[in-house]
Amino acid sequence: MNMDKNKKIEEILNSLDGSRRASTPGFFYTRLKARMEKGLEPAVKSSWVIRPAFALSALVVVLLVNAAVILKEDTAKENVVADTDNIQSIAAEYRLNDNNAVLFDVNQDNK
Amino acid sequence: MYFRKLRLQKTQTSRLLNEFELIQGLRNGDETSFRYLVDTYQDRVYNTAIGIVQNAEDAQDVAQEVFIQVYRSIHHFKGEAKLSTWLYRIATTRALDLLRSRKSKKRFGFMQRLFGDGNEPLHELPDFNHPGVTLDRKENAAKLFRAIAQLPDNQKTAFTLHKLEDLSYQEISEVMKTSVPAVESLMHRAKQNLRKILEKETD
Repeated sequence: MNMDKNKKIEEILNSLDGSRRASTPGFFYTRLKARMEKGLEPAVKSSWVIRPAFALSALVVVLLVNAAVILKEDTAKENVVADTDNIQSIAAEYRLNDNNAVLFDVNQDNK
Repeated sequence: MYFRKLRLQKTQTSRLLNEFELIQGLRNGDETSFRYLVDTYQDRVYNTAIGIVQNAEDAQDVAQEVFIQVYRSIHHFKGEAKLSTWLYRIATTRALDLLRSRKSKKRFGFMQRLFGDGNEPLHELPDFNHPGVTLDRKENAAKLFRAIAQLPDNQKTAFTLHKLEDLSYQEISEVMKTSVPAVESLMHRAKQNLRKILEKETD
């Protein structure tokens, strides 16, 4: 079984021995000349993702998003401080803290 | 014996002279020289490229680019290596570049599809049938090419040049700008890896 497998693999490995050279399709020179006259368009075109314009734009977008997140966080912190001040001033104005104490006492009495 | 040696020297000199004249002609922008270069080497370049890229259309593109590069950069050719060595070097480099570009296209395929820029098919290429392989060996050769495609670049280059272009280890070492023992090692590792891949596939 193993011998058969090895033999098969050897056959595959040697399958290119004695093969002929592949020939270019017809009119190769004509096509080549036409391409040279038209200007070279490489077969390996760089992907749009790695083009400098795209890379730069991506970098700018990332920086803008970072800046926006940082600015938003700062504003959010300021708003939290402002909100706490407002709540405290309202509580003081309506003496909510005293009321709470009264309510607490009432609850104590009920027990 | 003496005459045989003399004849051999004469042949080598005439080859050198022809190559020298050819290079001079190319440097002068002579079209006849360029035509002669293409006619002489087009099949070698195409066969090398098709062995690596495993697609006839891409191989033709690569072969065209090789000759365009030669035409444009002949002034930089110092003549330290044979013209054929230089051509093989450009052909393998260009073919491997194309494979790399194919891989990166596949990687970013989904993005290209999202933005409507990718018209190329993203599915795997079908089995490659080399036109020079005899009919009774076609099936095995297709399996071998599938395995070759999985080899690292330098092993792929050495194996292709040796098996398809019948280059000696010495010639391959000149193309790859390395030593003969390094090529021997590359070939040994290539065969080992191919055996492993084929063993898995035949299970």
